[in-house]
Amino acid sequence: MSEPGETPEALDPYADNPDVVLREHSYDGIQEYDQKLPNWWLWTLYIFIIVFIGYWVLYYQLGFFPSDYERVDEQWAEIEAAKAAKLQELMGSLDDHVLWQMSRNGQITGRGESAFNIACASCHAPDLGGSNSGPQYVGLPLDDSEWKYGGTPLEVMKVVTEGSPDKTKGMIAWKEQLGGNQIAEIVAYILSKHPVPEGVDIDG
Amino acid sequence: MEPSASPGAKATIEFDDRTPRLFLIATVVWALVAMAVGTLVASQLNWWKMNFDLEWLTFGRLRPLHTNAAIFAFVGNMMFAGIYYSTQRLCKCRTASDRLSKIHFWGWQLIIVAAAITLPLGLTRGHEYAELIWPINIAVAAVWVVFGVNFFWTLARRNERSLYVALWFYIATIITVAMLYIVNHLQIPTSWTHAYPVFGGVQGALVQWWYGHNAVAFFLTTPILGIMYYYLPKAAGRPVYSYRLSIVHFWSLVFIYIWAGPHHLLNTDLPKWLQLLGMFFSLMLWAPSWGGMLNGLLTLRGAWHKLRTDPVIKFFAVAVTFYGMATFEGPLLSIRSVNALSHYTDWTIGHVHSGTLGWNGFMAAGLIYWMAPKLWGTKLYSKNLANIHFWLGLVGILLYVAAMWVSGIMQGLLLNATKEGGTLLVYPEFVETIQKIQLPMFARLCGGLLYLVGFVLLAYNFFMTVRQGKPVDETREVVLLERGRGRRGHDTMTFSETFRNDPVVYTLLGVLFMLLWFFMPPYGNLAALAVALTLSYMAVQKFQAGHGAWSRWYDRLLENWMPFSILTFVAVAIGGAVQIIPAVTVNAAKNIEGHLQTPYTPLELAGRDIYVAEGCYNCHSQMVRTLVREVQRYGDYSRIGDSIYDHPVQWGSKRSGPDLAHEGGKRSHGWHYNHMLDPRMIEGSTMPRYPWLFEKKADFKSLPKKIAVMRRLGVPYEPMTANVIRDKAERQALEIAKTLREDDKIFIEHDRQIVALIAYLQKLGTYEDVEGEGGGTPGLLKPDVPDNYRGPKVSAR
Repeated sequence: MSEPGETPEALDPYADNPDVVLREHSYDGIQEYDQKLPNWWLWTLYIFIIVFIGYWVLYYQLGFFPSDYERVDEQWAEIEAAKAAKLQELMGSLDDHVLWQMSRNGQITGRGESAFNIACASCHAPDLGGSNSGPQYVGLPLDDSEWKYGGTPLEVMKVVTEGSPDKTKGMIAWKEQLGGNQIAEIVAYILSKHPVPEGVDIDG
Repeated sequence: MEPSASPGAKATIEFDDRTPRLFLIATVVWALVAMAVGTLVASQLNWWKMNFDLEWLTFGRLRPLHTNAAIFAFVGNMMFAGIYYSTQRLCKCRTASDRLSKIHFWGWQLIIVAAAITLPLGLTRGHEYAELIWPINIAVAAVWVVFGVNFFWTLARRNERSLYVALWFYIATIITVAMLYIVNHLQIPTSWTHAYPVFGGVQGALVQWWYGHNAVAFFLTTPILGIMYYYLPKAAGRPVYSYRLSIVHFWSLVFIYIWAGPHHLLNTDLPKWLQLLGMFFSLMLWAPSWGGMLNGLLTLRGAWHKLRTDPVIKFFAVAVTFYGMATFEGPLLSIRSVNALSHYTDWTIGHVHSGTLGWNGFMAAGLIYWMAPKLWGTKLYSKNLANIHFWLGLVGILLYVAAMWVSGIMQGLLLNATKEGGTLLVYPEFVETIQKIQLPMFARLCGGLLYLVGFVLLAYNFFMTVRQGKPVDETREVVLLERGRGRRGHDTMTFSETFRNDPVVYTLLGVLFMLLWFFMPPYGNLAALAVALTLSYMAVQKFQAGHGAWSRWYDRLLENWMPFSILTFVAVAIGGAVQIIPAVTVNAAKNIEGHLQTPYTPLELAGRDIYVAEGCYNCHSQMVRTLVREVQRYGDYSRIGDSIYDHPVQWGSKRSGPDLAHEGGKRSHGWHYNHMLDPRMIEGSTMPRYPWLFEKKADFKSLPKKIAVMRRLGVPYEPMTANVIRDKAERQALEIAKTLREDDKIFIEHDRQIVALIAYLQKLGTYEDVEGEGGGTPGLLKPDVPDNYRGPKVSAR
């Protein structure tokens, strides 16, 4: 003990334990016991050595687990298939008429508006004005009657889904991030800012 | 000074206590700086305006200053104070050279000042905790060598035959940090303030995290463990719990730690065998780390009553507890599936802070409260203040860590959340997840502030203690040690005594066969594994049959500082060598997984250097991991070939913004222009504005030199004259300015930094498809040899 008497005898936890020996040497007054290594502690090491060896053999020798590439490719293929099926189903049920109907449904356009504000407003401006609404907006205006890539609801829908035909500077394809349903809602919201063309009966 | 009396005689020596006093003062000063900068950058994650639109105060430039100050200035000075004080006492002699001590102290402070100037200026190497530019790197290496010489010289002159465990940890620190620092800072200068690192791409990432992880291990852990072994028993007045635990945990810690670096690169395109080594060595590291915690906490048995009265013991006890918590959390985060969620989030940041604030910071506080009264020959100015500091600090760090758990886990879950049968992300826009963690990030800021206030109290308490005392250099009467002679003398161990003995031979053979198990072809590897296990069994038999022969050898080793240091070097060198040498010697061009990065044009390279200088990697990664949610969010997962020409590699380690690996071509030039001018065009973004990029000119002049260095590093540029290079840059810049003008009615001079940066951003993720060619034949050390066991890989999409 560095300074004798610092720990009262009564508080010495090893006073009655003859197995706990103090090593003779003292370094600048610091002494050392030489107690056994706790078994539970040793086992935390042994267990992970065993796990290490086991996993390595399972992976490299027995080919038990797929590689990362196999795993992610497989998961991705599943997602792609499910998405394609969904989109096809949706597109099959959609036509210009249905989209015009959706554009007059407040619930749908409400959801479309919030999605628009997150995904689209940074380029097309919250008021849909695009580059007309300020220099910080680089998107085309969506509130006028000019449509660069076609103005029927399905054509608008296609541009959002697949992205601008001009890949180098136009809009990206949104189908990965938004999915068909949300794109339809966004298109409905955009249409809601336009008058229903003559000949379309939204109640029909 | 050292008396010239004859050995065996008694002599009175005076310790050099001036050096630890200076280092202690520096510790307190830099602690305040590091923590103040830390709270400022933390606040910027809540309020982007907190850089006051000044380029020198942006997050990207200040975060490196915070981390470097906390590690090298605060903990560094604390470590030196602790080492200089305790080494003299454990060696019973004065530090070998006062001059070297002085050079060490002032050199280190100059380095810190240089760092504090260059980092805000945007002069950086772009690797975390290795940001300082090359002239400062050389100064660091030189000062470290001065420290090493001074330390080992002191060991050689010691008047104490045997080395105490604290010194073992100091030895490991000095040797390993030198090795790590030099290898990770190999670079070729292009100017006085800029250089490209020698290792790029996946090799650069591997070397960087071998260094980065082991900076934590051998700069923030081993020296502090050494300090614990001296100061904790001193303060508690109790013997150390177990000598044999010291031996087992020291050697297993230094050997295993060095292998764990790749756990920073899990689920990336780092070869799988390295990822698995990183994960499993991290798991095996749990026990050695807890050995240190046990030896600290159990030493307090019989002194727990002092917790009530002695602030020093309080700080030490909590520090060691935090060490245990952090070293449990570390292995947990190294499990690949846990890491898939936690990596790139605040969970990692929280983990690091429970180490630096909980373990290092509280050890520092205990050390300062214990040492200051002794070095200035007085009592601590106020125990009460120290107690208040303790509680402020404890509440602060607990709030900090808990907030980061919430923030990190929540963001990880939000980023992975899907709907419609897993086909769609619930939060496709990254910024939505940033908005949702604003509250926990604010709580983190409060925790950090509390901790800082605690340290302000410490600084005041320290200052008043120093003022009421006066510097005291302790003198002591020691028995001078006779110079060792023959087989029993100290420092007389021969080379063969060091290496030709059962413990060393069995260990080295066991490690050798373990390596063969990693690298041999099928079945050969199983044979190697069987031999390694048999050797382990035989070693245990020998150990038991030897009746203490191994212990006697070890006791003798402790009386010989140089053999001890050599064996320590062998133990720390193996892991890095095995992981790095195959990865850097292999022909990089043959391991690209079907993608061959297109080299940057001169303008894009200039843009990339701006990206690095602004510290964009502090928030943006360039690595899509092999995880399906990442592929959904960012696009195809990254391949080795995507970044092979990146010096320095910019995979990043934390995302406060989205990944940029595939940013090129996603959006228009105009979008990037407007976004850099005002990132608030993305609602809720916390990114700072970069108006100066629109005013400052891009550096075209240095491009020829830079490209020459790139060519030396193996990037396949065709030969170009300086004029051609500058001309190419000009032309591409004009092209971009024209597009901006025509498409978006944006008028900007073509030579501005923003134009170069746009060129770089639009290049990100550009590669050539070389499927089918360049697959390469596996050489002996091809990094991914084991993966070939599984037959052909699935072809990349």
